[in-house]
Amino acid sequence: MSPLTSPNDFEVVDHTADWALRIYGSDLTQLLSNAAIGMASLMVQDIRQVPVHVERYLELEAYDAETLLVDWLTELAFWAEDEQLIFPEISLSDVTDTHLKASLKGSRVAELLKHIKAVTYHNLEIEKTERGLAATVVFDV
Amino acid sequence: MHSHPVVTSKDFHRLSPYLYEVPRSFREDMRVPARFYANSQLLEAIKDDKSLGQLVNTATMPGVVKYALAMPDIHQGYGFPIGGVIATELPDGVISPGGVGYDINCGVRLLGTHIDREEIAPHLDELATVLYANCPSGVGKGGNIKLKRGELDRLVEEGAQWALSRGYASAEDLEKTEESGRVEGADASKVSTRAMQRGASQVGTLGAGNHFIEVDVVDQVFDSTAADRMGLSPGRIAVQIHCGSRGFGHQVCTDYVKQFQRVIHKYGIKLPDRELVCAPLSSPEGQDYLAAMKAAANYAFANRQVLTHHIRRSFDQVLAGKVSNHRIYQIYDIAHNMAKIEKHQVNGQKKEVCVHRKGATRAFGPGSPVLPGIYRDIGQPVLVPGSMGTASWVLLGTQGSMDQTFGSTCHGAGRMMSRRQAKREVWGSDLRDELEAAGIHVRAGSMPGLAEEAPTAYKDVDLVVEVVHEAGIAKKVARIIPVAVIKG
Repeated sequence: MSPLTSPNDFEVVDHTADWALRIYGSDLTQLLSNAAIGMASLMVQDIRQVPVHVERYLELEAYDAETLLVDWLTELAFWAEDEQLIFPEISLSDVTDTHLKASLKGSRVAELLKHIKAVTYHNLEIEKTERGLAATVVFDV
Repeated sequence: MHSHPVVTSKDFHRLSPYLYEVPRSFREDMRVPARFYANSQLLEAIKDDKSLGQLVNTATMPGVVKYALAMPDIHQGYGFPIGGVIATELPDGVISPGGVGYDINCGVRLLGTHIDREEIAPHLDELATVLYANCPSGVGKGGNIKLKRGELDRLVEEGAQWALSRGYASAEDLEKTEESGRVEGADASKVSTRAMQRGASQVGTLGAGNHFIEVDVVDQVFDSTAADRMGLSPGRIAVQIHCGSRGFGHQVCTDYVKQFQRVIHKYGIKLPDRELVCAPLSSPEGQDYLAAMKAAANYAFANRQVLTHHIRRSFDQVLAGKVSNHRIYQIYDIAHNMAKIEKHQVNGQKKEVCVHRKGATRAFGPGSPVLPGIYRDIGQPVLVPGSMGTASWVLLGTQGSMDQTFGSTCHGAGRMMSRRQAKREVWGSDLRDELEAAGIHVRAGSMPGLAEEAPTAYKDVDLVVEVVHEAGIAKKVARIIPVAVIKG
């Protein structure tokens, strides 16, 4: 179980028309987890206040690590749009560049602050940095 | 991937008073030069973000002809800049889902009325409340139209024609809509189950973000012949709708951008940004996307048509018996996120090309056979919404837009401040109070959302319009100003 992420694991990056997040992680599992928490933080005031009544499971296969990251966030954005579901607890397993399994705990929220219409591939590259892995994801809002 | 040089002032030169060019020599992967329209004030805003680099990237697309273009409302997007236009040559030029964007056929509809400002004034507050109640808006908000089994397939293949069969439209509405509200060649079988699922409950909804319904009053008329033809005169009330294909279109784009990540390797396509992924128009993948994109375009036409029905209901509810004539008529409906197969002059020959307009409006000049009879001799009406609380414009397409920009012009004011900065600097509730103090009735679901759309976050739409008018790629008809704004 990855603990609730610390504020340094993602940061909002200025983007003229949309929203962007710079996301960090010691490895791909951590990066994917932080990306999910980061995106959820754009949609609710305080993700720590979201209770964990609902459980969901997910398994994804993707073409490469960047596609896996986009697919993962796209699934979460869909649950937010369709059922207003937000997941503060994320447990990832069997993570490779092209595969993940996720167990999610969260709940429906009364209101979403932001509608994430889509997760883009704009300049998307998972890079190796001094802090581990990093990626900048631009969301269409 | 991030190693490309940034475009600076020394990398472009002025071709004419309002047109600038980044030459092909700027980057070796450019296939054509990149051109953009601006004046000195807009140039300052354009230089501040990454939009010119994004414009240069679009000049690398396989099959691109003449030049990659950006309108004066250009600003940073993802993949293409917003305000970007390119044409790719058939049969092997590419089509790019990211070059259309996630909100396929996001567009604007303008409705005319017989009501004067003074006549509506006592009823405006109630009208704003009723419009907000009758036109569902906000994040993921579902609509009140229940579709029968299989009906969504028909809706996405028939567009506004479907709305006519359900009693939500008049024949006149369809005639005065780009493509008559129905793009031929849409195929529901090329659309994923997820897209159908997202679309099923959202017909006739506004959504969130920068989408809105606005009640406006005609402020100034610049071309009285064209304004008369459209039914616009000073002091007269009009209504604008700005929205698109909702979750349906977002999912179509998401699905094909994902699929094309793999497809580009099959066709040996190299690109500077993964969001630009594309496929040759002659390929099965390119054709599948085109058919799915058309389905989303039809969804958007149907969506704006159902919203028009809700607006008519609202006018009926509030104004029947209180004003002399509360009938609403269609002026025009345009798309500003779309790819279309059109014929344009390329190197002295008329050629079939795929024009991608990403935050740009088709602006066909006088005489175009695709325009409805009532507008054929004056040119296509072009609808340019301003930022919230500011003016919007009605323009006409010109011969200049046909010659210079593949029949395209601007689509709005164009952002210049990030959403994050706007939220830091503006309180939604303060903004609402300011707008109300200026006599604009505001109904909005989200105050932070309202702040992100603050007028200070946008360029001055009057400047943008001045540039397209002076450059000859559109012609001013009328300026309209808001009296009521409905937002998600």
